[in-house]
Amino acid sequence: MLFKIAWRNIWRNRTRSIVVIASVAVGLFAGMFMMAFFQGAVNQEIDSMVETQLSHIQFHNPAFIDDKDVNDTIANGRAIINKLKNDKDVKAVSGRLVTTGMISSSSTASGVEIHGVVPSDEKAVSSISKDVIVGVYFTGLKKNEIVIGEKLAGKLGVKLHNKIVLTFQSKTGDLTAGSFRIAGIFRSRNSAFDESTVFTSFDDLAGLLVTGDGVHEIAVVLKDGQKTDAIAKVLKTEYQSLLVQTWTELSPQMALLTGIMDQMMYIIIGIILLALMFGIINTMLMAVLERQREFGMLMAIGMNKPRVFFMILLESVMLTCAGIPAGILLTIITVGSLARHGIDLSAFSQALSQYGFSNFIFPVLKQSMFLPVSLMTAFTAVLSAIYPAIKALRFKPAEAIHKI
Amino acid sequence: MSNIIESHNLSKVYNPDTIPVNAVSGVDLKVEEGEFTALVGPSGSGKTTLLNLIGGLDYPTGGNVKIGGIDITEMSENKLIDFRLKNIGFVFQAYNLIPVLTASENVEFVMLLQKTSKNEREKRAIELLTEVGLKDKLNKRPSELSGGQQQRVAVARALASKPRFILADEPTANLDSKSTENLLEIMAKLNIEDKMTFIFSTHDQRVIDKARRVVTLVDGKIVSDVKQ
Repeated sequence: MLFKIAWRNIWRNRTRSIVVIASVAVGLFAGMFMMAFFQGAVNQEIDSMVETQLSHIQFHNPAFIDDKDVNDTIANGRAIINKLKNDKDVKAVSGRLVTTGMISSSSTASGVEIHGVVPSDEKAVSSISKDVIVGVYFTGLKKNEIVIGEKLAGKLGVKLHNKIVLTFQSKTGDLTAGSFRIAGIFRSRNSAFDESTVFTSFDDLAGLLVTGDGVHEIAVVLKDGQKTDAIAKVLKTEYQSLLVQTWTELSPQMALLTGIMDQMMYIIIGIILLALMFGIINTMLMAVLERQREFGMLMAIGMNKPRVFFMILLESVMLTCAGIPAGILLTIITVGSLARHGIDLSAFSQALSQYGFSNFIFPVLKQSMFLPVSLMTAFTAVLSAIYPAIKALRFKPAEAIHKI
Repeated sequence: MSNIIESHNLSKVYNPDTIPVNAVSGVDLKVEEGEFTALVGPSGSGKTTLLNLIGGLDYPTGGNVKIGGIDITEMSENKLIDFRLKNIGFVFQAYNLIPVLTASENVEFVMLLQKTSKNEREKRAIELLTEVGLKDKLNKRPSELSGGQQQRVAVARALASKPRFILADEPTANLDSKSTENLLEIMAKLNIEDKMTFIFSTHDQRVIDKARRVVTLVDGKIVSDVKQ
């Protein structure tokens, strides 16, 4: 019957209760929307990093990581690539040459990281070929083709089919230069990457570097990215002389970002719930003070203090819990729609691309969010009711009964 | 007949540190089982304060109250709540029913606090509401009942816990004459047939006329105690 009384009491002041329920629903929605928004942004950032730069797993000569010396190629690289291509868990593999050098146009020069790739393999591993906005991702018909980022092209003042010169150190230690013609210009989500990375064909770069058949980097994309850690563990055992790294090891800042994202989100939700708590305290306090005579009567006829306390707690929890399904429903509808169509943030595209974020954010609603957020909200309701309940317990029946 | 209520030198002083008000002063009162007693007196004479002290709703500043030989003035607040639940029925001037419950649920509520089984609660609630003439109003909420009907529900609720006595503070003050007459008949019947002890404060001459003992208070002191 206490549940019945608590539930009916909520509806004694319908408007006030609806305002509180709406506050809970909107608060919950705001919190979960924020979580979904940031989760979507982070997921897209990870996907972008994996697709354009990192892939799921990379192989290197352990010495190569320290100073990217062109001599530190992977022993039997080609054989490893062929073996990996036949692995049932592997979707695509690409062998790369990687070096740093200077890119020069007729007007200016800039430092870049040069990737020598086999275009047909790289297309399967990296999304850069899809990001080409002018020209093509290697014609394969001519020698010394280069694909550069839009931002770098702007900086160098060059256009499609213009010539640029790459200068770098070869395997023999000599400074080598090569003239390349721009075959394509790409624009990825990450403008910093676009400004600092260029792509040539593997054979052209190998010829200039004098590395022969050697590869510096083997990029592997798996059929199921969720299995990255497990598969990497097996590969690490199999290729103990090589450095086998997952994308989280290659980019610890991204791993950290995903790690702290959940905690950040719970902090944001906590702040929202804190604000909500004061609203509930206010409502419950009003409800208790308005019903002073009733509480006096209840204690007079024999309702003990724990029961009075529990009843007020129950009212607060019920009031809040009525808002939780509404908030979840609002979140499912809104975030569900935005997850399909995306949130257009093109007004902030310049700032977003500097951090590698897309102009369109597709929020990701994780069902696992619902339970902890709902429990946090219910807990807030309990906390909110404590002060009003203590206030009610302090009423003296003899005085309270005669309150108007 | 044995004494069900005994007060000895009972006093209650409000604002003892600022402007002391002696609401009840040195009251010695004995009430036997089965009495139908009216506490009368002008406003401010201490009737309600005396009822509160006898009912364990307030603590005295002096003296004591014994119910069935047990000194309730020494009890903690929590023990007193439990004692009231088991021993005392209350009827208030403003009815004080739970507005969100029906008449039947209001009566059942006290039995719920006593942990009576659902079946027994429902059965007794119907019996009691029938006894006070509200068999057809079982599922009506207080807002759907007249003042007289609400007060009769309050009487049924007071009886529900099978108390040793019922305290009624100006039970007819908000009622019209017909409802007053009706309520008095019910209370008198319960007193005679069920031997239920009633102590009520009142200004109402019709209530005083029905009482078999009239205790008059002036300035917190008993000035007369007449059996009629």
